[in-house]
Amino acid sequence: MADEGKSYNGQSRAAGRGAGRSGLRVGGAGLGRNPGVNPYATRTNRRGETWHDRDRIHVTLRPRDRPLDRGGAGTSQDGTAKNWFKITIPYGRKYDKSWLLSMIQSKCSVPFTPIEFHYENTRAQFFVEDASTASALKAVNYKIVDRENRRISIFINPSAPPHTVQNELKPEQIEQLKATMSKRYDVSQQALDLKALRSDPDLVAQNIDVVLNRRSCMAATLQIIEENIPELLFLNLSNNRLYRLDDMSSIVQKAPNLKILNLSGNELKSERELDKVKGLKLEELWLDGNPLCDTFRDQSTYISAIRERFPKLLRLDGHELPPPIAFDVEAPTTLPPCKGSYFGTENLKNLVLHFLQQYYAIYDSGDRQGLLDAYHDGACCSLSIPFTPQNPARSNLAEYFKDSRNVKKLKDPTLRFRLLKHTRLNVVAFLNELPKTQHDVNSFVVDISAQTWGFQGRLCIVNDELFVRNASPDEIQRAFAMPAPTPSSSPVPTLSPEQQEMLQAFSTQSGMNLEWSQKCLQDNNWDYTRSAQAFTLLKAKDKIPEVAFMK
Amino acid sequence: MASVDFKTYVDQACRAAEEFVNVYYTTMDKRRRLLSRLYMGTATLVWNGNAVSGQESLSEFFEMLPSSEFQINVVDCQPVHDEATPSQTTVLVVICGTVKFEGNKQRDFNQNFILTAQASPSNTVWKIASDCFRFQDWAS
Repeated sequence: MADEGKSYNGQSRAAGRGAGRSGLRVGGAGLGRNPGVNPYATRTNRRGETWHDRDRIHVTLRPRDRPLDRGGAGTSQDGTAKNWFKITIPYGRKYDKSWLLSMIQSKCSVPFTPIEFHYENTRAQFFVEDASTASALKAVNYKIVDRENRRISIFINPSAPPHTVQNELKPEQIEQLKATMSKRYDVSQQALDLKALRSDPDLVAQNIDVVLNRRSCMAATLQIIEENIPELLFLNLSNNRLYRLDDMSSIVQKAPNLKILNLSGNELKSERELDKVKGLKLEELWLDGNPLCDTFRDQSTYISAIRERFPKLLRLDGHELPPPIAFDVEAPTTLPPCKGSYFGTENLKNLVLHFLQQYYAIYDSGDRQGLLDAYHDGACCSLSIPFTPQNPARSNLAEYFKDSRNVKKLKDPTLRFRLLKHTRLNVVAFLNELPKTQHDVNSFVVDISAQTWGFQGRLCIVNDELFVRNASPDEIQRAFAMPAPTPSSSPVPTLSPEQQEMLQAFSTQSGMNLEWSQKCLQDNNWDYTRSAQAFTLLKAKDKIPEVAFMK
Repeated sequence: MASVDFKTYVDQACRAAEEFVNVYYTTMDKRRRLLSRLYMGTATLVWNGNAVSGQESLSEFFEMLPSSEFQINVVDCQPVHDEATPSQTTVLVVICGTVKFEGNKQRDFNQNFILTAQASPSNTVWKIASDCFRFQDWAS
């Protein structure tokens, strides 16, 4: 679809861009190939060392709403005292929640995310942040007609932040919580002891109230686990007055290896609470001292109720259980190994990488008008961001939200059409309005999954699907750590003749260009053998970016 | 694309994308055996950098994958310009969601499809011309 490329298809690029561009805008890390790690230095296991060595704790924890854009405008981060509005629909109880919300969305000029939708007496209510969303909703008043031909009123009132937003921990409190958890982690046993966390002397001294029954506290705790000790085997949550486990359900993903869970001395009233964490492959569980233990007529019903949730359980409250029942029908559980970019052929690779480098140089330059040449006259462009159940205005993707085109959520054909930018001029005008960016070329991943033989001439973009998400803590750390190579520059003249010679030889042997060859040699003190070993090792692990091989 | 109103193409693309997403992920999760039938004979899948081409190889590949539970959060789509695929209605679909493969942790993914309407004298069937799948955290 590249109308002209010799062996290139815009479709493939369009397709590649969807994923390839994802995340690149924010923090610039995107789908990187370890851009932040110097590929020629010895690599250590970061996760293992950051956690228990306190001096070296990197701030891998990211308060969820800190904007990651370089130079991007901040949004409300503290979660308080911003523009909150309460939306009230009198007699809203008559209507089904999803019907009501989709009707409002279809009439509303901007997409919005309702926070804390609930019914109160006869009313339906929810909250939104940001005055422009509120005024757009105001315009929907009396526009929707229900099945009985009644017009639906919508009232907007300024309000305090909703409850779930109010109780969030501040970044410095989260740092303290993290320090406390670090102290309570036994690295040799991979065991985290959070027994009676609220009365921890350090937290009490700092006046930080960590109540694990509170969603925000549980979420912060689980996030710290996910980012620092996902290998966790043993978690002690005894004596925390837990009466429900709803907010704990994500532990199944965050600590997938968890084998031993201690919930003793909490307030769990029904074994059904355990359904929320039943994805855990537990071998040992402690529940004594919870009201639910007294609800069973005998021990065997207790055991079978628990084992129904955790079929692999070997010990309950310290007692050995009869061995679990197992059959030998193991389904496959291993995934194919993930690899870096897929280009198909060397020619395509050079063509596309060259194009992308030029494209993003202009994209990041501050004036994107120059991209006009990159697009086909009839090009399309649209953008989407991940669906966020929490308030989008508080997310660092807020600037992209109004343009987000998610046809799974947006059902209105007019809005769908409006959010798709069509023709070259509109596309570039649209791109010009998007936030300023800086891309880390080393982090690019490009997959080419289709190609056709097009017409004569130059490459250009016909379909552009942009997907923007937050970078992960890992990606943030890796981003921009390595200077972007400048493809056209000649080798630095300050090298000795021997070094020049070594450089040429290394470049020929490794296939890397001169800049990257020189970098590798320098990193290894111009020891040819060591450099070659480092190169071979990293090449085998697929840790060298594509740009290193561009000549 | 000039002959018919562009909006008509956009509507058609959206309908095809919505329908496709339902069919594809239900088949993936529940009737994996049939999945390769959704692909053209010449289709290529690039799965986290691994290229797989042709229906037979695709069948083998899908059989090897652990059982899955997909959840789709974002779908966007565009009609592909005529000039790129002459006389064939083609749509680009971009998907973001989460997937839990058995024995693995839940992960976020992005997936792009190029779908094309294959007309035969009796009916028209949409097929996948290309498929590109990546975990968002594939590098870690």
